[in-house]
Amino acid sequence: MSLLEITNLTARYASAAGDVLKGINVSVEEGEIVTLLGANGAGKSTTLRSISGLVPFTSGTITLNGQSLLGQGVEAIARLGVSHVPEGRRVFPGLTVTENIMLGASNRKGVSRAEMMREVDEKFDLVPDLIRLKDALGWTLSGGQLQMVAVARGLMAKPRVLLLDEPSLGLAPLIVQQVFKIVAEIRKRGTTVLLVEQNANVALSVADRGYVLETGRVLVSGKPKDLWNDPQVRAAYLGGHAIA
Amino acid sequence: MAIFLQLLFTGLGIGAIYALVALGFVLLIRAASVVNFAQGQFAMVGAYILVVGVNVLELPYLLSMAIAVVLMAVFGIVFAATTYWPLRHRGGLPVIISTIGASIFLENIVLFLYGPSPEVLPGLFDSPGIQIGEVFMDSQYLSILVAATLLVVLQYLIFEKTLLGKKLQATSQDKEMASLLGIPVAFMILFTFAYSAMLGGIAGMLVAPVLFVSVGMGGLIALKAFAANIIGGYGSIPGAILGGLSLGVAETLGASYISVPYKDAFAFAMLLMFLMVRPQGLFGEKISEKA
Repeated sequence: MSLLEITNLTARYASAAGDVLKGINVSVEEGEIVTLLGANGAGKSTTLRSISGLVPFTSGTITLNGQSLLGQGVEAIARLGVSHVPEGRRVFPGLTVTENIMLGASNRKGVSRAEMMREVDEKFDLVPDLIRLKDALGWTLSGGQLQMVAVARGLMAKPRVLLLDEPSLGLAPLIVQQVFKIVAEIRKRGTTVLLVEQNANVALSVADRGYVLETGRVLVSGKPKDLWNDPQVRAAYLGGHAIA
Repeated sequence: MAIFLQLLFTGLGIGAIYALVALGFVLLIRAASVVNFAQGQFAMVGAYILVVGVNVLELPYLLSMAIAVVLMAVFGIVFAATTYWPLRHRGGLPVIISTIGASIFLENIVLFLYGPSPEVLPGLFDSPGIQIGEVFMDSQYLSILVAATLLVVLQYLIFEKTLLGKKLQATSQDKEMASLLGIPVAFMILFTFAYSAMLGGIAGMLVAPVLFVSVGMGGLIALKAFAANIIGGYGSIPGAILGGLSLGVAETLGASYISVPYKDAFAFAMLLMFLMVRPQGLFGEKISEKA
């Protein structure tokens, strides 16, 4: 049994007419980095939003360690160990870097403040660039700094699975490299990651397996090398349709 | 100079009441994006609960206040559950209308229970006050200032120094993200309603001995507190405090030096002046983006 198992998932937004996801099957094993690739509107972020409970799904199942996430609220799913670092980072602008990271532990009960501060310091070890910014307010940070705060905050949840949505979006290539170095380090420390990216190159460089999504369906899945050599994937990335 | 200082003291006292009600406004705007037009009626309900405790049940004054504060917190949660919760996904306007409805309902229920004649409530202290230099400090105005200062300090400690405060701030800044982190957003919002109702209720209890306790007492206080919000900067906590205090001082000075019958007009003239010259208020973000 996989740690995270998504079976025949369909979902739609209340405002939209059709399904955004049309029967997605994805599995993530413990300790893996799995990436969901695809163009805009393929359903990558919606898949993550369905897992964390932000988008109620219409049919199919999502299980974490065998336990169904169907009908669980967003906060309950967070307490089960799903940590979602959404697109746009969503760092609280009026709180400091330390406070933002600390609040990442809100899904765990009975963590003392001292323990939390110790864990925050551990995150600073992982992302040393943040130490000098520990008292800076969220709104003063650059895109790359925000992304690192968001990831550090996501890790404070001690997640069973970390959902990372477009961590490279809007960042300079050098900063993207830094962010993905941290992602690789996270996996080394044993955290399972489900990564959504448009930047296939960089995502496949860290991932164990990948799924390519197109208009709400899984087009193809496999090891990074296989995906990269797959003509369908190349076609999808060029914006065209798969060659039959 | 003596008269000026005396007026300044009185103005700050009445301004502190506006500031407390304005703080209640701001907290709800920030936590739940709710503009609560029943905030003034919270003050009225608080004052009437104190009237029942002190005049009817003849309980000790401080005990009555403590009971009233607890009841106001409960009242705030009931208010949230009935006025805000069922409409929370419908946008701002339905909730505003719902709070206006609640304000009318509250006034009429008190009118039904208590009748239209105003009640008189004694002050917290028997002593009329103390003389410091040339300024006579009325004991009730002094209590208002002390209580308001304590509440502001308490609020600062809760919001800035505790984890609960940080979670409340996170909720007010981005509810969806707070929820993704496992912060119980519903609890945070209910807590804010309870706290906001307590602030309103305490303001009503403090001002009750200065004014008469009447069904209509909340309306004007709320309007001025709302004006204080705009003057201080919409949604700003220091703005609510400073806006309330400056409004109290302006209307007291205006009433004494210019004209007593136009006392209320000074407050609103100040509001109009701010809207024309500095619409974002003293500490504010641009109003047009929020309202």
